[in-house]
Amino acid sequence: MRIPPYLKPGDTIGIVCPAGYMATERAGECIETLQEWGFKVKTGKTLGSASTNYFSGTDEERLTDLQEMLDDDAVQAILFGRGGYGMSRIVDRIDFTKFREKPKWIAGFSDITLLHLHIQKNYSVSTLHAPMAGAFRDGESGNEYVRSLRDCFLGMPVNYNVDGHPDNRPGIAEGKLIGGNLSLLINSLGTSSEPDTNGAILFLEEVDEYLYSIDRMLMQLLRAGKLSRLAGLIVGGFSGTKDTERPFGNTLNDLIKEKVEYFNYPVCFGFPVSHDRENYALKCGVEYRLSVKLNEVRLFEQ
Amino acid sequence: MHRKHFLSSLIGAGVLAGSDWKSWASEANEEWIIPPSLKRGDTIGITCPAGYISYNDILPAIRILESWGFRVKPGKTVGKRDHSFGGSDEERAADMQAMLDDEGVGAILSARGGYGSVRMIDRINLSRFRNNPKWIIGFSDLTVFHSHIGRHYKVATMHAKMCNSFPDNLTTADPVVKDTLLAFRDVLMGEKTKITGPSVEYNRYGSVEGRLTGGNLSILQNLAGTASEINTNGMILFVEEVGEYLYNIDRMFWNLERSGKLKLLKGLIVGGFNRIKPDDPGEEFGRDVYRIVMEKAEKYNYPVCFDFPVGHQRPNYPLVCGGQYRFTVGADGSLLERI
Repeated sequence: MRIPPYLKPGDTIGIVCPAGYMATERAGECIETLQEWGFKVKTGKTLGSASTNYFSGTDEERLTDLQEMLDDDAVQAILFGRGGYGMSRIVDRIDFTKFREKPKWIAGFSDITLLHLHIQKNYSVSTLHAPMAGAFRDGESGNEYVRSLRDCFLGMPVNYNVDGHPDNRPGIAEGKLIGGNLSLLINSLGTSSEPDTNGAILFLEEVDEYLYSIDRMLMQLLRAGKLSRLAGLIVGGFSGTKDTERPFGNTLNDLIKEKVEYFNYPVCFGFPVSHDRENYALKCGVEYRLSVKLNEVRLFEQ
Repeated sequence: MHRKHFLSSLIGAGVLAGSDWKSWASEANEEWIIPPSLKRGDTIGITCPAGYISYNDILPAIRILESWGFRVKPGKTVGKRDHSFGGSDEERAADMQAMLDDEGVGAILSARGGYGSVRMIDRINLSRFRNNPKWIIGFSDLTVFHSHIGRHYKVATMHAKMCNSFPDNLTTADPVVKDTLLAFRDVLMGEKTKITGPSVEYNRYGSVEGRLTGGNLSILQNLAGTASEINTNGMILFVEEVGEYLYNIDRMFWNLERSGKLKLLKGLIVGGFNRIKPDDPGEEFGRDVYRIVMEKAEKYNYPVCFDFPVGHQRPNYPLVCGGQYRFTVGADGSLLERI
């Protein structure tokens, strides 16, 4: 696994929107904050584009914008404006030739999960699962989750200490981190972006899904062998989880515990990786140590 | 919920993934086994591999099946309930297993779909079924069975209406419902049906022969990467969906495309995509199902038809997964004939 060069003050961060539309003013606080952190900012054409539909531009426009940022030697990292949906449509058309020679940090989550998986699988370059430009607003730019992105960009050692959970399965795991949004993990299966989770610490988060649908996706991970040889499992936030009219009858944590009960690795619940404010930056592909106790969870780089 | 130990049968399956089973990719032109047709007096078993249904709610189906001269054997999961499921995973698996192994049962009709087949299919032992195949009937969540059995055993299964969409009275039923159910009976009794679809601007003309496979799009994605993954190479693929957002339909079609399942098709049949969830205002996806499909299929040359009468809708004609068909799309619309 290759680690892209960490950023130095004065380096340039490019902002593009490879999926949903984002107005320029929505990224205003992000741009100011990145500048306060000492970085320069270069915005792509897909931020505040003229698009009138769901997407920030046509597939070609979104692809070209991302491609230019990937290939631009003057850009040291790419931070996505927001997720939504759209990466599945363009990921196979991205040319990674130059990125492979000169990797740079790519930061985002949700729909961007597919890009993380794709790059890990095919190019073995570490990427950042992290808050995006949309998280830098309403005075939230100074919160510890957004600041964790800065710390990761700068190469500061990451050491997260978070609250435990009574459902945690204690233990210690060492392995590379991989994961992201459950729906996108599922969407990658059977394709060239499908992750190899053997020996990895897998993290999962989700938003606005029905319990039965979450169960079906977890069953798919299980049946695809993605849960059987993990080093550890980190369950993040499942924000806005919905139930059907006829209750599904099990809690989310029970559904997860049921899938992993025949394995022995540590499992923690409620880790701050989510579509909510609580969303620590995590370096995918990097070796971490996960220590799970009932009353405390620690995750830090090896 | 009584779900303890439900996973014991799965650990082995997981270990297989990523290596051996992917090379089992089958050849579409290999011989398939078509289960024996039913005769009057034969027995149809009814079971609930997924969602819960009451005995009362399957009575219309029982009456109609009996009026056709079949006997009906409701399984233990009919009327059984574990929250949304028709019994625990163990109970649903045991009921299906009993039907599969019972030589007195000539066909197994799923009472309804919902969600649950994927939780119990790895507990089913199909070795006896393989030697004594019988019709397995259902759709939606039952796509799990169609795909799994087609992939591993090449035994034809029947994608068709289930008990919960049988009308109270067949004679006074909506003509389309009646026609669909008569076709259901005909296929079960070994007749070869012809099903037509409308002329749609986006249809792509052509005529091919091949075996049929397919089902519910969400389920097809849900099987990707698993031991039940659908094999579409050299086949005519049909898909249908209900209650999804357009963006998610698009994403699932990308999963099919990116996993190579649209590449080597003989033909593509797009059934009903019903009750599509509306986009948020200002977040319009900007593409309908026709465009979503054709932008994936445009680089291939096989015939494609839309609005074919299969799916979560009244015109949901029986299709034989694994059956040999001639598929023709022309100016008059689409035609799918069993040959």
